[in-house]
Amino acid sequence: MSLIGELLGKSPFGPLLEHTRKVHECVKLIKPLAKAAVDEQFDELHRLQDVVSKLEHEADQVKHEIREQLPRKYFLPVAREELDGFLRCQDGIADSVEDFAVVLILRNTKFHPELKADFLEFADQILQVGDTLMAAAEEIQNLAETSFGGAEAESVLQRVAGLGQEEWKADRMQRKLCQKIYSLEEELDPVTINFYEKMLMALSEVANSAENTGDLLREMIIRG
Amino acid sequence: MSLLMIGMTALVGLYMAWNIGANDVANSMAAAVGSNSISVKRAVILAGICEFAGAVLVGACVTDTVRKGIVDPSAISSIPGLAEGEAGALLAIGMGSALLAAAMWLNLATWMGMPVSTSHAVVGAVAGFGIAAAGWSSVHWGKMAQIIASWFISPVAGGILGFTLFTLISKAILGRERPVPAAARYAPLVAFTVAAVVSLSILYKGLKHILAGAEWLTGERAFLAATGIGLVAMLVSKKLIARRLAGKERLPLDEQLESVEGVFAPLVVISSCAVAFAHGANDVANAVGPLAAVVDIIGSGAVKMEVHVPFWVLALGGTGIVIGLATYGYKVMHTVGTKITQLTPSRGVAASIAAASTVLVCTKLKLPVSTTHTLVGAVVGIGLARGLAAVNRGVTREIFKSWVFTVPAATILTVIFFLLGKWLLLETVRCVVVAAAAGA
Repeated sequence: MSLIGELLGKSPFGPLLEHTRKVHECVKLIKPLAKAAVDEQFDELHRLQDVVSKLEHEADQVKHEIREQLPRKYFLPVAREELDGFLRCQDGIADSVEDFAVVLILRNTKFHPELKADFLEFADQILQVGDTLMAAAEEIQNLAETSFGGAEAESVLQRVAGLGQEEWKADRMQRKLCQKIYSLEEELDPVTINFYEKMLMALSEVANSAENTGDLLREMIIRG
Repeated sequence: MSLLMIGMTALVGLYMAWNIGANDVANSMAAAVGSNSISVKRAVILAGICEFAGAVLVGACVTDTVRKGIVDPSAISSIPGLAEGEAGALLAIGMGSALLAAAMWLNLATWMGMPVSTSHAVVGAVAGFGIAAAGWSSVHWGKMAQIIASWFISPVAGGILGFTLFTLISKAILGRERPVPAAARYAPLVAFTVAAVVSLSILYKGLKHILAGAEWLTGERAFLAATGIGLVAMLVSKKLIARRLAGKERLPLDEQLESVEGVFAPLVVISSCAVAFAHGANDVANAVGPLAAVVDIIGSGAVKMEVHVPFWVLALGGTGIVIGLATYGYKVMHTVGTKITQLTPSRGVAASIAAASTVLVCTKLKLPVSTTHTLVGAVVGIGLARGLAAVNRGVTREIFKSWVFTVPAATILTVIFFLLGKWLLLETVRCVVVAAAAGA
């Protein structure tokens, strides 16, 4: 019976980084998906959706692993609720990217030429929000090494602070894009409009989840 | 005949020492082995050297407590109606029974998978014999209270020190924007601390019984000498660290942190050596404390125990520990090492220095404490400073359990053995004591 042997459990931060990386892979596919949708390359869309689906499933598996390896008897350097919330929210990002991809393959939706540029710009902004969050979240191992304090924590908190503005910008772009869609409604059929709406909602969910994940990352750092 | 008695007691003592080496020493080097800073083979060699050094250089303090600090020898000799030499015989049989009982309980508990502390077992056993032989008043209850208090205080002190040391390391080095230059500046302090603490424990009221003429090296001179040794260690390490970190100030953060941990690796090795040293100093008494008492009685025929603990007794204990470590402790060290890989060098340094300092202070205060419990306290302290990803709360419960079971079990076993021994061997031993007194 070794007291020292029983004293330490497995760190959740390694698997957490793995989860973050998988979600980041999903987020990186937003640009190719948007481009393929706008160029109406429907085969490419099907291929990309397969990739996203697989990545999202792998992320889910890592998420379950993390939850299983943390029985209540271990105490962590961050509050367990914050870690759980962060994990769930980050997983939601991958879910939203998958939703976006699914919308694109359910129907071969054609893009009105006047909407193409704006849509790509919107997708870029969403990607920006996602990338910012992912870069911050990928510092989790360094945060653990520096005990969630010091210069590293400051740096991550700063990066996360910018998320609110980025997400707001995405929101405004989404509204403008919607207004443009409706200004063209005479030239579009209702089902296509419906699908444009689904795409925009899925993308803005990505940004929302990213912002919320950032908030929870912040909570993990400042509340021990 | 007297040689036979000493020999048999020495054998049981060796057996206890072997047990300590086999099971306990692995925990001392756990920080170094777990963080992969040293191979198990090298750890065994270093631990062997440090345990032995601790045992012979500083081991006399706690050995003194075990042989005459718990049970008052004069209480035994003042039992009314004793024949000549009977007091000495009772004491000798009692100490022998205590040693045997503690050794047996150690085996039994390990076999049953229960956590057990050799220090707790021996203290309980010796107290038990005292009560059985001469009633409750034969035990120095003041000292017992101190000892029992130290069992609670040492893990807590380890925790506070661990928390503080790690917070310092975190704020001064790891948390900086550029950890590498911070490490070059502050990490040498670790070498200073380890060298100074260990030197002070050897020198302060220490070397008299080994080096004749070393009396001048006590008191404040000891502090100065220890500080001096610490400074030398600091300067040497400063050079080596600077060389290792040269040109790495501008790397990205995760690479800088990796380099800093790399610098802490040799530092955790020397800190773990300090823990092994402290452990040897504190725990050798568990194996040879009773032996020291028996040797004194059978050698001089008297019950006073005023001479220093003989060097060969400490050396015997130290040797037993080393043998236990080399034969079985290797395996335990390997197993423990695989389970605590989370303890990176920076954390290991904080835990080891906290544990070593606490145990050495307790040793100089002549208190037998559990090095393992202190180390656990230190690690928990670091966890509370947000330095570790998953710390098991349940281990504290295990520590409580070991307190609750060990002392009564050891006491009861000792009483049984003592009464048996008294019934069977009293006359024989009495004659030996009388002969020794006549010859002395």
